Amino acid sequence: MRKGSTEGVQAAGTADGSPGTTTQGSSRTATPREQAPLIIEARGLVKRYGDFTAVAGIDFEVPRGEFFGLLGPNGAGKSSTIRMVSGVLPISGGELYVGGYDVHYQDREVKRLLGIVPQDDNLDQDLTVRRNLEVYARYYDIPKKVAAERIEEALELMQLEDWGGAQIDNLSGGMKRRLVIARALINDPDLLILDEPTTGLDPQARHLVWRKLRLLRERGVTILLTTHYMDEAEILCDRLIIMDRGQNIAEGNPRDLITRHVGREVLEVHPLPEERAAVLRDLEENVGESGRIETVEDVIYALGVTEEHHRRVEGLIADPYRVNFRRANLEDVFLSLTGRGLVE
Amino acid sequence: MSMTAGTGERTHAPRPRRPRGELPYIGLAIPGRLTFRVWQRNRDVFFQLWRAELLPPLLEPLVTLLGLGLGLGAFVQLGGDIEYVQFLAPGILVAFPMFVATFEALYGAYFRMTQHGTYDAIAATPVRPEEIVAGEIAWAASRMTLNTALIALVLLVLTPWLDLVGSPLIIFTIPIAFVTGVLIGSIGIAFTSRARSVSQLSYFFSLFILPMFWFSGGFFPIDELPGWAGTVAWFFPLTHAVDLSRALVTGDVYAGLIVNMLWLILAAIPAFWLGLAAMKQRIVK
Ligand SMILES: Nc1ncnc2c1ncn2[C@@H]1O[C@H](COP(=O)(O)OP(=O)(O)O)[C@@H](O)[C@H]1O
Ligand SMILES: [Mg+2]
Repeated sequence: MRKGSTEGVQAAGTADGSPGTTTQGSSRTATPREQAPLIIEARGLVKRYGDFTAVAGIDFEVPRGEFFGLLGPNGAGKSSTIRMVSGVLPISGGELYVGGYDVHYQDREVKRLLGIVPQDDNLDQDLTVRRNLEVYARYYDIPKKVAAERIEEALELMQLEDWGGAQIDNLSGGMKRRLVIARALINDPDLLILDEPTTGLDPQARHLVWRKLRLLRERGVTILLTTHYMDEAEILCDRLIIMDRGQNIAEGNPRDLITRHVGREVLEVHPLPEERAAVLRDLEENVGESGRIETVEDVIYALGVTEEHHRRVEGLIADPYRVNFRRANLEDVFLSLTGRGLVE
Repeated sequence: MSMTAGTGERTHAPRPRRPRGELPYIGLAIPGRLTFRVWQRNRDVFFQLWRAELLPPLLEPLVTLLGLGLGLGAFVQLGGDIEYVQFLAPGILVAFPMFVATFEALYGAYFRMTQHGTYDAIAATPVRPEEIVAGEIAWAASRMTLNTALIALVLLVLTPWLDLVGSPLIIFTIPIAFVTGVLIGSIGIAFTSRARSVSQLSYFFSLFILPMFWFSGGFFPIDELPGWAGTVAWFFPLTHAVDLSRALVTGDVYAGLIVNMLWLILAAIPAFWLGLAAMKQRIVK
């Protein structure tokens, strides 16, 4: 079992200052909610399902006001992680504080701070749109009058104000997602958690959801989002961690991550089978220490290359549309770290 | 457990005192106030659909009472001067409402748990898993209670013609129905929590509920059955509910009813606990 770090124990102000004897709860009276500048602190967080380890000891911290992302392919452990943060999935190891509350012991306090948008829409099919929100507000013990105001506000914010009386079955996929987001806003959450909010949506609906999320961030809502779309993560997140097989493999601001791990540009080549060997040989000979070559299926990626490499490869490929010299993105970061594509 | 409580050397946030009765994943928390919210959710859905939900479960017992009671009753000779339809009434008063509680705890709960994701949605709010389950059981019991009350009304209305109700004590079948509903609902929820498909639910119905429906003394006296069958029947919750109902409807109360009452209450307590524990396990994966 991981224990908390020992540095700074003195600052905790125990009577004798000796490590390991900090009295729990101690004499502090302020509520954790006001005290904790970090909305999430996860240290050595582990999730096991039987023998299988889905989350293998990850650390991350999210300050208030940030738009934080978990990016990774399917099965990386994103949902497991955020379901632990949400207090609905027991943790198998490590420490997890949300809003200063220990999720393990104070799940109810934690849940009061959160708005949850799960991966699969779980709207109440038996109730109308507005009734869904009313019933949900009751779970938080929100007084009727306050709830009524927030419901109208949330419906308007999510552009559903004309659909209050509709049955859930009659909503499109994008509208259902927006309604789930509206539902998550009903308790005025300190932290909004979204699990793959745009998976399965058409491009238009996706952009609308993005716009709404940016709007929420501007209003100061702290957001934790998971996605396997690198463009989504890049566009929305202030900071993110890239997860793979339960591990945190990189962390930082999207731009910095790209610069640090890939460089500015990437050469992406889709050679015909007969051209492949020549392209690979040429790149291997000419891409120096600073660059890298990765292949995913029949696509070749050369990282840390220059315009000159681009021209050389163009000479080897008959169809110019099969060569793309472009800005690097998070997909390339993932590729460079794992040698695989993001969407499995 | 995974936390090393008491050795926290933290500087960021205060290590919280472990709140009493608030251990989410160790054992069971006692369901609290928010149980009512889950009950309210089911009530709201019910009142949206009440025509479909309420009438069939009322017509069925009525048709059975008149069909069996008057039709078959013409051929049935009971000891004493009691008509078959009069014998039937107290049984129907609890047996059919038991079906309603069963369906709620089996199919209703199953769809809310799986397809509709209702439990997951609620579990993400401050409502505890225990409160979800308790709310569901309370709802199943409430529906049984409501139906018993409504059938009692129908029996009262028919009494000038058929002489079905002999005592104002019939009012006490309402709390009996609630306790029986908690018991049946709890067992049903526990079974549902283990079900991997809808079709598995029908096992519970065919192997437990249906035999109980017929062999609890509601449709024919069980003293006429061979000894072993009577013994089996004694273990059916409905047998005790029917005994109580018969006494309260006719007004023939006797001391032995205390045993029936205690049986139901003492069985309902562990059953409720079992339902909470089993379904909580399914909700908190
Ligand atoms: N309830 C469960 N029981 C067993 N394995 C699970 C369960 N939930 C998830 N897993 C496994 O854990 C891994 C991580 O899953 P998940 O957290 O859903 O990843 P992601 O959201 O990144 O796709 C996957 O391999 C998945 O199969
Ligand atoms: Mg997921």
